[in-house]
Formats: sequence, C-alpha cells, structure tokens
Amino acid sequence: MVEVTHLIEIPMAVEIPVGPQHPALHEPLLLKLYADGERIIKVDVMTGYNHRGIEKLTEKNTFYRDIFIIGRVCGICNAVHTNCYVRALEYILDVDPPPRAKYLRVLSMELERLHSHMLVLAVTAELAGYETLFMYLMKDREYVMKSKEILTGQRVMADYMMVGGVRRDIDEVKTSRILDIIKRVEERIKYYHKIFQEDVTINRRLRDTGRIKPREALAYSLVGPVVRGSGIKTDIRIQDKYDAYGDIPFNVITEDYGDSYARAMVRFGELYESINMVRYILTHLPQGNPVPDERKLPRRFPVGESYAAVEAPRGELTYYVSSSGGDKPYRVKIRTPSLNNIVNSAFTYVDQMIADVPIILGSFDPCISCMERAVITDLRRGVRYQVPLKELGGVRK
Amino acid sequence: MRPGLIKEIIKGIFVKPVTIQYPKEQTLIEPDFRGRQYADLKKCIGCSLCAVECPANAITMTKIPDEYVAPKTNARRIYPVVDYFRCVFCYRCVTVCPVNAYLVTNEYRLASSTIVESSELSLSTTTKAAGGV
Amino acid sequence: MVTNLNLVDFLKEYVINSYTMKPNRVVIEVEASKIREVFSKLSETLDREAYYLATIEGTDFPEKNLIRIDYFVNVFGHNTYLVIRAYLPRENPIIPSVIDLVPGALAGELETYDLLGIIFDGNNYLRRSFFVPADVSSKDIYPLRKDSGV
Repeated sequence: MVEVTHLIEIPMAVEIPVGPQHPALHEPLLLKLYADGERIIKVDVMTGYNHRGIEKLTEKNTFYRDIFIIGRVCGICNAVHTNCYVRALEYILDVDPPPRAKYLRVLSMELERLHSHMLVLAVTAELAGYETLFMYLMKDREYVMKSKEILTGQRVMADYMMVGGVRRDIDEVKTSRILDIIKRVEERIKYYHKIFQEDVTINRRLRDTGRIKPREALAYSLVGPVVRGSGIKTDIRIQDKYDAYGDIPFNVITEDYGDSYARAMVRFGELYESINMVRYILTHLPQGNPVPDERKLPRRFPVGESYAAVEAPRGELTYYVSSSGGDKPYRVKIRTPSLNNIVNSAFTYVDQMIADVPIILGSFDPCISCMERAVITDLRRGVRYQVPLKELGGVRK
Repeated sequence: MRPGLIKEIIKGIFVKPVTIQYPKEQTLIEPDFRGRQYADLKKCIGCSLCAVECPANAITMTKIPDEYVAPKTNARRIYPVVDYFRCVFCYRCVTVCPVNAYLVTNEYRLASSTIVESSELSLSTTTKAAGGV
Repeated sequence: MVTNLNLVDFLKEYVINSYTMKPNRVVIEVEASKIREVFSKLSETLDREAYYLATIEGTDFPEKNLIRIDYFVNVFGHNTYLVIRAYLPRENPIIPSVIDLVPGALAGELETYDLLGIIFDGNNYLRRSFFVPADVSSKDIYPLRKDSGV
C-alpha cells in the first residue's frame, strides 16, 4: 500500500503571449501572461526585439557625433534625449548657454511633451476600442508637429541642441505662427479633455485598471506621469531647475487614485501646463544670440564625469557621461523612463483581466525603442512562487 | 456620462478631409526645412571636415573629375559626395564647414530605386573647362 | 530637512570617500560588501516616500583591473541626488543584490549583469543572451567591457 506523503498541486494556468507582433502593441515587446480563467496571475516582460547597442556605439564615436546618434535613440523624445546629453557635456566643459538658448531649449522640449502626450492619449483611446477619438487626436497632434517643424526644421528629428546653445534661432513670424497653432490646439485639447471625462467607453475601460499605490510606485522605481498619477509629487524640472525651468512658472500635476484614468488625467493636466509654458516662453523670450559657432567648440574634453537628468514626457531620463580626456566619451549610460516603467511594472497586471492588459501597458506610455538598449525578464515575486520548467535552464542559480 | 464625439463626427461629414492626395497635391513644407544639401564646388576647399564629423558616415571625399574647374584653394581637388540613403539630415556638415560651402534646400522627395547622391548637383555648381585646368 | 551634508553624515560609518559629481550630485564610496547595509540604513532614515533608486551603472577600468558600480538614488524629498559608488575586482565582480530591499533595482541589476557581467549575489533572475544576440552572448562576451572586441 503506497502512503501519500506529498500533495503536488498543479495550478491550471494558461500561458498567453501578447506580442512581439500584436494588434494591441505598436512596438515589439513580448508580455507573457499566465492566466487563471480571465484573471492574470503572473506576467513576464520579455524584451530584446529592438536592441541596437547605442551605449557601445557612443564610446566609439566622438562627443559631437554622439549628439546626433543619441537623437536617434527615440523618435518621439529626441529633443529631451539630446538636451540631457548636451547638458551632461556642458557640465563637463563648464559651459553655460545664453538665456535665449535656454528658453528655446525648453520651448522645443515642451512642444515635444505636447505631441508625445497627445499621442499616448490617442493610443489609450485606441486601445480602449475608440478609434474615432484616436483619429481626431492624431489630426490635432499634426499641428503641434508642424510647430516643431517651424521651430527646429523637421517635424520629428529636431537635432536642435548643441553644446553652448541651440542650432537655429526663431524670428517674429515664426513666433506668431507657433502662438496661433498653440491657441488652436488648446481649444481642441479642452474638448478632448471633456470627452475623456464624460465618455462612457473611456471611463468604463480606464477606471480602476492597473491601480498602483504610491509606496509601490516608488519601491519599483516607476517615474513620470505614472508615479504622479499615484499622488507622488516628483518632477526633475522642479528638482534640478535645468535650463530655463527655474524662470518659467508651471505647476506639477498629480492625481491621487493611481489607476489608468488618473494617469490619463495627469497627462491632460500637463498638456495645459505645457501650453502655458510655450505661451510664456514665446512672449518673454530674452534677447541675444542663442546659436553657438559649431566650428569654434572645443574638440577635446577635459577629464570628468557628470550625471544629467531631464523630465522627458515619459518621466525621468538620465544620462551619465564620463570623459577620460580626448575626443571620445569613456562611458555613456542612458537610463530611459520606459526601462523602469515597463520592466519593473509587471506587478501591476496581477489580478487584472486579460482584456485590460493593453490598457494598462498603454497607460505607461511604453516606448520600446527608448528602452531597448538592454533586455530583461521579470518574475512576479512574493505572490505565488512558480517558475515554468522551460525557464529553469536559463535562470542563474 | 455620454458619448461625446457624435456632434464632431456629424460635422466632419460636411467638411473637407484634412488628409491630402499626396502626389497630386504637394505637402506644405517650411522654406527652411532641413532637406537635401550639397557642396558648392566654387567654395569647397576639400578639407574633409564634414566627412569626419558626419554621424552617419554618409559623406565620402571624392576626386573632382579632371574636366571640371576647381578653385585654387582646393589643392587636393577633392569634394564631398553625400549619400542621401545614409544621410540623416542633421546638417552637421553644413554647420561645421569652415567656408560655408554647403547649399541647402528644402527638397524632401528623395525616394528612388537607384542610389541618390550629391555628385551631380555638386558638379553642376562649377563649370567644365576645355582641356582641364 | 536633511541637507546634502547630513546625507553623508548619517551614512558615515560606511563612507570611505565622498565628493560631488557635476552638477551637485553627492558621491559616496562604500565597501562593496556593505551595500545592503547602506540601503537598509537609507530606508530606515529616509521616509519611504522621499527617494527612489533611479539607476545602476557600471564602468569597466581594465588598466586598474577594476569594475566600478554606481547606484544613483534620487532623494527627491530632499531635492538631492545620492550616488553610492563601489569598486569590484575585475576577475570576480560579485556584489550582494539589493533586490529585496529595493525592488526597483531589478531593471538596473539585470541590465548591468547583461552588459558588464557584474554578478548580483541573491538575484535569481539574472539571465544571459537577452539584450545581445545569442551569437555574442554564447561566447561569454560582455559588450560594455573595454576588451570585449564588440
């Protein structure tokens, strides 16, 4: 007679891959969902479909060539990436750009925040099944892109920052044209804000999905509108007061509830703040020449290191640049907000519905091309300990 | 809580679409849009700085064909050829050029099935001399 | 209100050396084996809603035969940045993992392991061949090491 000594419990979990190519995702990312019925019990974030090795590439190129390479880390937030890198170089060189250049830098970054937030709000609407709103928001986003083209010379790739200033000036005609566009866009944003508040589809899909408590948000190092949506008041623009953010008045928007809806509302609040900042900059622009002569910039850098941080549309973006003398950086470390927001956020999906996964992911504003210079997997810790058999081989003891 | 876009959609039926029929109708582009750029051979001194600084390695220094006139300042008789398939249009070459030799345009229609580069455009800025220099 | 000076003060039993990195980031060098104690001290002293671990960064110094690891902690509650810096031997770069104290360290630890081969002792999720294509990582190459040849 065999005596029963152990009870082996096999949980009935279905593994559902979302991505890397999936209608709900716009960029390659694999979310492995483990679902018990409709409830998710674990999520693995698998990345690595877009790795380009940019950190290594920057070590092989000169400081100035890197400015343009780094602009290509991410299309949507290229101005904040270059601004962060250029400021890291300026800290090493002890260069201070003229006030007009600082204002113009902030202008380009706030225009970028405008179109980036409009994009993610449009995508949120699309993921909630509201494609008409997506189309309308994208239509109005195009006007912001146009104003960026007026300012920097291209609608996406700004290539606007240079050590010691910016790369082109703005005149009266351009100023009034951007002001016109901003006025038109502001009315539209007010209208869309009302729709987000009143519409049945949006409210039912976004409310109470992916709720994050403030304590969790900080413990897992989430950044940007995600952590501000959980009621934590953190903003690098206030903390570092880089460029002209010390002079330009603005508020930090926070929401308390911490669900996808709160994150969308934080983004709407920031849209209004950005519009006010753009208007303030264009009416209070200091005089002077913001464009440095690129032929006279120092080619060799002194030994030194610096750590610059910038509030990108998606959160805190940081660059660590180390120079060992010479014309090439010794080490460039890029930490994008999406890395923390995507990889560390696997815990938010637990106990949610399968259908809510795209909404939650969308509310983090994932930018895969930003994140993918490194690849990570995450296992939910603490709740239920389980490791799929096929993963055991790869886990280091 | 009610669907809010209905009015906007009904209004949208009667207005012209915001999209345009591209090849028939041209996109409105700023005059100072960063488009196709090429070197003016009357000014270029063949210093290769643009080729060194190009982040995309799109510029190669090429010999000026013998039948074309080159200025005396260009002693090595070389000029930059931009491969527009590699170019990222950052205009670093334009801003580092010590003699401002680059001519800039807002031309963005560069799609082609054959290689697009700037040698023809650059050579058109200088003249052919009978029997060489 | 804890100022920059106090930050170094309350961690002074661990601090070997302290200086500032541009612009005004407080750097403290600590013993690599003490890193867990530093983070527990940090979470005891500071309010949990006043700081987060921003990133982990590693740099290779083949000529000194060292690998340097920096923990960038954003103490936004006190408007300052703390950089905790430790040096590891290059042949055997092992540092205790802080993943149970600071769950946000996960992304940074896995990234640093993948790129530089720093082993975080106690982190069970470290895996190779994610970010680099399998053909590179199977040769045991860590791309950000200066002699990796990548």
